[in-house]
Amino acid sequence: MELGHFLSAMTPVNLGLALFGVIAGTIVGSIPGLTATMALAILVPITFSMEPASALILLGAIYTGAIYGGAYAAILLNTPGTPSAIATTFDGYPMAKRGDGDLAVALACFASVVGGMVGAIALLFLAPPLSKVALAFGPIEYFWLSIFGLSLIASLSEGNLAKGLAGGAFGMILSTVGVAEISADIRLTFGSQVLIGGFGVVGALIGLYCIPVLIDLVAVPDRHLKVEEDVKTLRIGEAYRIAARSKFNLIRSSVIGTIVGILPGAGGSVAGLVAYSEAKRTAKPHQTFGAGEPDGIMATESANNATVGGGFIPTLVLGIPGTPPDAIVLGALLIQGVRTGPAMFTQSGSIVYTFIYGLIIATILMLPAGLLIGRYAYKSIVTIPKAVLVPTVGFMTIIGTFSIRNSVSDVIIMICLGVFGWVVARFGFKASPIVLGLILGPIAEQGFVQGWTIGAATNNLFGMFFGRPISQAILAFTLITLILPLVLARKQRKAALEGK
Amino acid sequence: MMSASKAKSQGQIGSLLTSAFFVVAGVVTLYDTTGYSDRDSQVFPQTVAILLILTAGISFVHRFLRPSDEDGFGTGVWWRRCLLVLTMAAACLAMPYIGFLPAGAIAFAGGLIAAMHDRWSRSTALLYWGAGAVIMVVFFAFFKFALLVPLP
Amino acid sequence: MLRRSILKAGAAAAFALSIGTAAQAELNGPVNYIIPFGPGGESDISARLQQPFFKDKFGQDMVVTYQPGGGGAVGWASLNGLSGDGQTIMGVNLPHIIIKPAQKDVGFTTDGLNSFYMFHFTPDAIVVPADSPYQTLADLVEDAKANPGQVTMSGSGKASANHLAQIKFDKMTGALTTYVPFKGTGASTTALLGKQVKAQWGYTTVGAKQGEAVRMLAVAMEDRHPLFPDVPTFKELGYDMVGGAYRGIALPASASAETTKMWSDMIGEINSDPGFRQQMLDGGFALLDISVDEMGDFMAARTEEYLNDAREAGLIK
Repeated sequence: MELGHFLSAMTPVNLGLALFGVIAGTIVGSIPGLTATMALAILVPITFSMEPASALILLGAIYTGAIYGGAYAAILLNTPGTPSAIATTFDGYPMAKRGDGDLAVALACFASVVGGMVGAIALLFLAPPLSKVALAFGPIEYFWLSIFGLSLIASLSEGNLAKGLAGGAFGMILSTVGVAEISADIRLTFGSQVLIGGFGVVGALIGLYCIPVLIDLVAVPDRHLKVEEDVKTLRIGEAYRIAARSKFNLIRSSVIGTIVGILPGAGGSVAGLVAYSEAKRTAKPHQTFGAGEPDGIMATESANNATVGGGFIPTLVLGIPGTPPDAIVLGALLIQGVRTGPAMFTQSGSIVYTFIYGLIIATILMLPAGLLIGRYAYKSIVTIPKAVLVPTVGFMTIIGTFSIRNSVSDVIIMICLGVFGWVVARFGFKASPIVLGLILGPIAEQGFVQGWTIGAATNNLFGMFFGRPISQAILAFTLITLILPLVLARKQRKAALEGK
Repeated sequence: MMSASKAKSQGQIGSLLTSAFFVVAGVVTLYDTTGYSDRDSQVFPQTVAILLILTAGISFVHRFLRPSDEDGFGTGVWWRRCLLVLTMAAACLAMPYIGFLPAGAIAFAGGLIAAMHDRWSRSTALLYWGAGAVIMVVFFAFFKFALLVPLP
Repeated sequence: MLRRSILKAGAAAAFALSIGTAAQAELNGPVNYIIPFGPGGESDISARLQQPFFKDKFGQDMVVTYQPGGGGAVGWASLNGLSGDGQTIMGVNLPHIIIKPAQKDVGFTTDGLNSFYMFHFTPDAIVVPADSPYQTLADLVEDAKANPGQVTMSGSGKASANHLAQIKFDKMTGALTTYVPFKGTGASTTALLGKQVKAQWGYTTVGAKQGEAVRMLAVAMEDRHPLFPDVPTFKELGYDMVGGAYRGIALPASASAETTKMWSDMIGEINSDPGFRQQMLDGGFALLDISVDEMGDFMAARTEEYLNDAREAGLIK
């Protein structure tokens, strides 16, 4: 029976759809501003006339391709193509700058395939039990998860903790601008209509990461990225060896990505940040995270692609979409007349299993397709003269930001935020803590307010915040992440003193 | 003498100003929260604003007590930076009136001139402007007709 | 001064007339259907269900796009700036478009939106997990009275249909429950299934989606929902509660009367398709047919009702 589903996923039509989906998704994901959500929303009507399983394969392939494609812009332009690739910029861009961009792109491809496979296999074998994770996470767990994510600020801003925290706090304040998500107050708009929708994450990412790069690029005549003399292919062999050496990191990050993907309130960006934070915490002494460490890219990219399979778990089992693209897939399923829910795996088993095998096939196809597209992306970015590259990227930021909400004011906000980000970065307030605050702020706020409301109602505030096992575990990890580097640094200093 | 020149350096003044800006942003947020009707909307911004005032305040005081010429805008050509940003902003403001493609062309031209550090020759000019036009039209068509974005 | 405005009005009338007689309003190319929220909510699902029927009946593509932000305010504030040629429509939701402008200046007014059809509503419902100790509504009310504030109920947002229902119901019963706002019905359902709260103020759609996993204690409809013949209405149980979240569609204000009429007829036609009706009912929605001619009365009645509720709840002044 299982073999039958596998074979029906292997029909030429389904294979073609998987390949097309991965390629289209990768291209969409690589353009900042174009998200998987948007690509899926447009393609849904096309899937009406398809078999449900084929429709799902196409949508799933686009989704997984888009998450991988987000890495290109992150590595080559320091701009996450999708929010999932935020942590890819931390090490990807430094690698590209020193001339290892080709290696970084190949690594991202390997890591994405591994992550995608782990997520899809979890979906295949463990979906019903794992869906319980989505339910075990209550408001407080989300609150602590966001605090754990924010603790990354401490390690991102070594030597200047106060400025890093200030940036994070400022990002969180930015996240509250506009109509409050759950409490309906209008905050910090100063009476203007422009800010009522708040700072969209995608637009803010483009502004804070991409505009500063452009401003720096035009100011000096140097080349954008350092290039070795002859660019022929991506350094696939070398990338493979590095990836094979870091298999433990890859698997751990993929598992983190799968689990975070299952959480409906989190998503790929949080998964990437958590996996990055864990990889950094367990780094070996010679590894320099934040300055072009291959393991940083692999942690993020494997985790964010694992969220694809992970996100489908609550979507298919509980009818609760894990991420916005999942919500669109769920809508497409409804129109096809497929009922989601626990009974889906038994009632519509053939659709579900054919889809999962299709997703696995798409993930495997991503390896050749991704390496090939990656090669062209890298080649074109390094060979295009700067005078054309800068305006092209600038034009893309405008058109991409516009199309998120079809709004000109979003573009203006994006540019202003970009100039602001460039100025404050020059004085030690880096973009990443601000972005972390912006992304994790709403999760922290909602979790806190809901947890407090429930705790106060049941007269159990302390138990609510500190008494739940998952919360305690996340809290413990947070404390270890924050304290361990301090202890190690002290030990090293001591050792150095004794050495003298 | 040394510290006096440091105290007046661009890095020193700029750092103090940015830290001060963040403190002010925290105060403004605190003030804004007084107008909210729901306690649930107040708790989080208030907490975060206090954190912002504290941390930005610390970095202000720290820098004030120990002046240095670290940080700053560094080298680079200002007119190029300004041209890039201003043409992008101008493109946005003009977009609703003149349409997306002409507005995009303003930004593109600005970026191209700003980023062009080599001497213009007839062939590079032709090549770059031509490539620019092709890139813009292709992207415009892709967004407008394939992705159905209602570009003005 | 007066003469000039008369002239203007005359010209405008002549212009409108010339369009009206020259050509009946018709569609040219694909239609952009803007949902002012993200994907996955009830607004999105119902639009997605309309999509294939629209294509079938009228031969044009209906492209659903999302313009989230400000709880819908970003979309609605931008609607009247869009072209009124009938190629762009936008979903509207009650009580959102009534409550939000009454709270603060959000860039649009209830009357300023050219809402031309209300095609369904999701009736309020109290939902509990399948293994909840609350077998009936009476169990829940009793517990809430015995332990004031201890019965936590999730819902979607504040000053929303769920929140208004909770406040109204607490007033009716004299019980005290605690409302926990979540971001959207999906998140509030997740909290319910995960037992983070004891019950949920949701809609009949939650019961349709979650099936066996949940139990609805009562629905705020005049008669029982065909999909849930065993679930009583609030009215049957002695509480005068009928309502929920209403959803419709609006055109930019600049759309001509002909275009508006055409759209009202088209949506009405989809709404009367048996296949569409069945899909909507299976999804837990309740169909509604308020066409452009009845819109004024409907909106006036709803506005009064919602504003009254919100005022009593202290959500607006």
